[in-house]
Amino acid sequence: MNITVGIADMKVSDDPGVTLVTHSLGSCIGLAVYDPVAKVGGMLHYMLPESELDTKKAKTRPLMFADTGIPVLFKACYNLGAAKGRMIVKVAGGAQVMDASGIFNIGKRNYAALRKIFWRNKVIIDGEDIGGMVNRTMRLSIATGELSLKVSGQGNRIL
Amino acid sequence: MIDIDAIVKSIKKLPPFPNVATRALEILDDPDASVDRLISIIQYDQAITANVLKLCNSAYYGLRRKVHSLREGLVLLGNAELKNIILASTAVKFFHKENRGYDLAKGELWKHAVATGIISRIVSNRVTESEPPSLFTAALLHDIGKVVLSRLVDRYFEQIIALVNEGRHSFLEGESEMLGIDHAEVGAKIAESWNFPEDIVQAIRLHHRPEEASDDDPLTPIIYLANIITLSMGIGVGRDGLSYRGKEEVMKRYGLKAKDLQGIVIDFYDEYNKVQDILKLS
Repeated sequence: MNITVGIADMKVSDDPGVTLVTHSLGSCIGLAVYDPVAKVGGMLHYMLPESELDTKKAKTRPLMFADTGIPVLFKACYNLGAAKGRMIVKVAGGAQVMDASGIFNIGKRNYAALRKIFWRNKVIIDGEDIGGMVNRTMRLSIATGELSLKVSGQGNRIL
Repeated sequence: MIDIDAIVKSIKKLPPFPNVATRALEILDDPDASVDRLISIIQYDQAITANVLKLCNSAYYGLRRKVHSLREGLVLLGNAELKNIILASTAVKFFHKENRGYDLAKGELWKHAVATGIISRIVSNRVTESEPPSLFTAALLHDIGKVVLSRLVDRYFEQIIALVNEGRHSFLEGESEMLGIDHAEVGAKIAESWNFPEDIVQAIRLHHRPEEASDDDPLTPIIYLANIITLSMGIGVGRDGLSYRGKEEVMKRYGLKAKDLQGIVIDFYDEYNKVQDILKLS
């Protein structure tokens, strides 16, 4: 069964029949985590880097921002029995339009925010497909932990 | 180079913009026209009437009481808003089909249209004193050219994307180079064939080239920004991806900074959740 992760949304599961899917990863980032021992996985689709931009919004919609959304995802997986040391972490998205000035580049800021949080918490990224001018769809199989990507104009691949 | 005549022919094959909607929009622009005249025209079109009522009752407008009739809808929402609703109700059928050329599943181009419409209003709210009356219409229709260009883009996709991947062309410029015309120009021709007002035609034509708009054109730069933000977020984006030019000068013109862009994205999220009814129109 496919479970869709919307924009500013997150899903976790320990049901081997489930595949988590998120669409429309442009400048947004899709973060997929998986514990192969507990067979627990989760996916977050966040839109923006820092919650300080709108702290009120971050309280009601923590999954909108990297810094408030990422901890929620990890905690939800721990609650299902996942362990930090076993977690496989994969990231996709952070694309941008053609823009030399960088003013439109929310994607790059989104990725930088994630790196900062991971560095601080000693989380290593096991696979990533970041940037470019493409749109991505991400699928995580809870049974196998396989993460597949559909990249606009390029087709499918396993990350 | 492709025969432009073939493209013009396929524009002519597109169903006409429904007469009922065109007349209703004219009446709404006429300050002397009566509510009765408007209702007498719309009520005979079942699909538009049903869609208008559905939209009036959607979360987007947040009306406290349920709207049961066109008359009530008009009184509660006012002319300008009803115009947007009639237009959205009518336009949806042109956008709903699967689009093979751009690899957009059924409903995706409509999602992109509605998202651009919403963001254009959010941007307008921030940078102008009052919303230009044609803004939502033009924003909703900006990519109508993709409907007609789909078949040709499908045939020439590999060549267009090769140009893009070489790094010097945006997808729009690739279309222009390979097909002799781009989706913005095709869209403008469609709007012209529907006898749409010149400001809307021009905004569709220049929605990727805002620098060519005249100084007194309030629509084009705002629709340009709204579209780039919608593309950036990947909403209703096909295999042309995000390969379009982000133009810093348009941001500067309005004094907008990178942080403002993020603020617009936040505002958009709330509005977008309220328009799920609009996305489900048929």
